[in-house]
Amino acid sequence: MYNYEELSINEIFDLLRKWRDNNERKSNEIMSLSERIMDNLDSQPNEKYLILEQLIMADLDCNYPMLAAKWIEMLDADFPDSLRVMKFKSMWYEAHDNYEQAFGILNKIIKADEINAPPALKRCIAITKAMGMTNEAITKLVEYLNQFMSDMEAWQELSELYLQVQEYSRAAFCIEELILHQPHNHLFHQRLADIRYTMGGVENMELAKTYYCQTLKLNPNNMRALLGLILAANNLLGHYKSSGSAKRKEVWKLCQWAQSEVTKRQREAQGSNDSALTSAMLALTIGD
Amino acid sequence: MSFYKIILTVGFISLFHSAFSAAQHRSYLRITSQEFTTLPLDIVIQAVGSLFLLMWGVLNVAGNLREIQAAAELNNKTWETQKNIPSFYIFNHRLKAMSPYYVPNEGKGDLENLE
Repeated sequence: MYNYEELSINEIFDLLRKWRDNNERKSNEIMSLSERIMDNLDSQPNEKYLILEQLIMADLDCNYPMLAAKWIEMLDADFPDSLRVMKFKSMWYEAHDNYEQAFGILNKIIKADEINAPPALKRCIAITKAMGMTNEAITKLVEYLNQFMSDMEAWQELSELYLQVQEYSRAAFCIEELILHQPHNHLFHQRLADIRYTMGGVENMELAKTYYCQTLKLNPNNMRALLGLILAANNLLGHYKSSGSAKRKEVWKLCQWAQSEVTKRQREAQGSNDSALTSAMLALTIGD
Repeated sequence: MSFYKIILTVGFISLFHSAFSAAQHRSYLRITSQEFTTLPLDIVIQAVGSLFLLMWGVLNVAGNLREIQAAAELNNKTWETQKNIPSFYIFNHRLKAMSPYYVPNEGKGDLENLE
């Protein structure tokens, strides 16, 4: 956490850049900094408009429509007839629950310029989602993905939407698609393992175990994957109880290893062994 | 001084010695006005031998090899930032009600009046 009052103006701009690059949605924080940002905006000629866009998003997010309208007008004065600014206007209507008007502007953008269509199409889908029509949003998003198959953001969003309507196998398919795009991103492997674990059953549990292991291979510091691995392995131990096979032995070993890793991490973090989580996890374990 | 550093030093000295011997051999040939054909076998063996000795020493002095992480910069990312997609932001959410400009919509007002 930062103490926003004590930050120098350069630190603020660095922070904004960091949030922008990492896709962090820090709307409240940006709002609390907005006055100081506006006073010093002209000192950053290269990033001025990017920061303005960030401010507009934050204002709309926190429901300060007057401020947002002011910035949008500023952008409009500098770039008249810009489609990018038009998109912000549609967002402004969207924040006012005036979805008809927002759709109208977006349709104009889509008709005006083929190249700028994807962002506008995505906004249409987001509005459908905001109206609470998840199933329609899914249909639209699938149509969109038929056209633009390499859009990772859209695949990720589709997976989230499928999760909302509990279509786990389809959500898993979307994440698999993401893994094909970014095979080295441990978060996608972790997500797929989470989904497989939620689906349940021996086969899915085996898959969850494998993907958690892959996550740990890519990033040994992923704590969620480590804990997930323990849970998945414990679940599998329950399934393999009757058959004292080699499979059970392997899972048992994996479980032991994961538990020792967790204990090690916690000892490093706290300097003491008797943490609540470890004992809770150990209580979950099935004795051999 | 570790064993491998000694190996390294010995290797260097031996390599320089073989170079020096080769130069000596050439000047000896020049003085006795003989035709130069090849270097004597012992100098060649010493040069090649000390080269391998050097390579072995350097490899061990440099320290252990480390694994190259395929995606080190991705490892600092958390799911919270990964799942945040700016193009699909919606503004119809809880934070809305925190703003001073918030007007509760009519549907909810009716519900409160019912009680």
